[in-house]
Amino acid sequence: MRHYEVMVILDPDLEERAVSPLIESFLAVVRNGGGKVEKVDTWGRRRLSYEIKKKPEGIYSVIDLNATPEVVKELDRQLNLNESVLRTKVLRPEMH
Amino acid sequence: MARRPVKGTEQHRKRPNPLDAAGITYVDYKDTDLLRKFISDRGKIRSRRVTRVTAQQQRQLARAIKNAREMALIPYSGR
Repeated sequence: MRHYEVMVILDPDLEERAVSPLIESFLAVVRNGGGKVEKVDTWGRRRLSYEIKKKPEGIYSVIDLNATPEVVKELDRQLNLNESVLRTKVLRPEMH
Repeated sequence: MARRPVKGTEQHRKRPNPLDAAGITYVDYKDTDLLRKFISDRGKIRSRRVTRVTAQQQRQLARAIKNAREMALIPYSGR
């Protein structure tokens, strides 16, 4: 098990109340894979420095979790398959 | 290459390391206010000569800035 920090940028056209159920649905991958979600910090709408997929803003969310590398890889794959996800970043803060 | 001769006295030579001064050990790419101090108006990463940080810290900064750019937190290029 390793500690990971995952940041996702979601489509700003999503409704506010649709955001956390969507994130939760992704995190099911982690929970089912024996991982543990430590913290979900949704920043909310934030202006992007440059347009991504023609969108001027995005909904930012930072997730702290403990899981095996395979589980996190699968989570990232699932995220990138979803149309509502503009961008993701997976990081191991302890590495740096 | 010889270092540029220092004009005047102490004041010119002593420029504190801004990261040590702020007590930062891990440069977080999410901390845009901090990173903005290390990029120019055009969005370019400032050189070590300007920033006065250690080589290790400069690498950490560069990595954080590039991560932040990828996530559209700071621009690739201003203007």
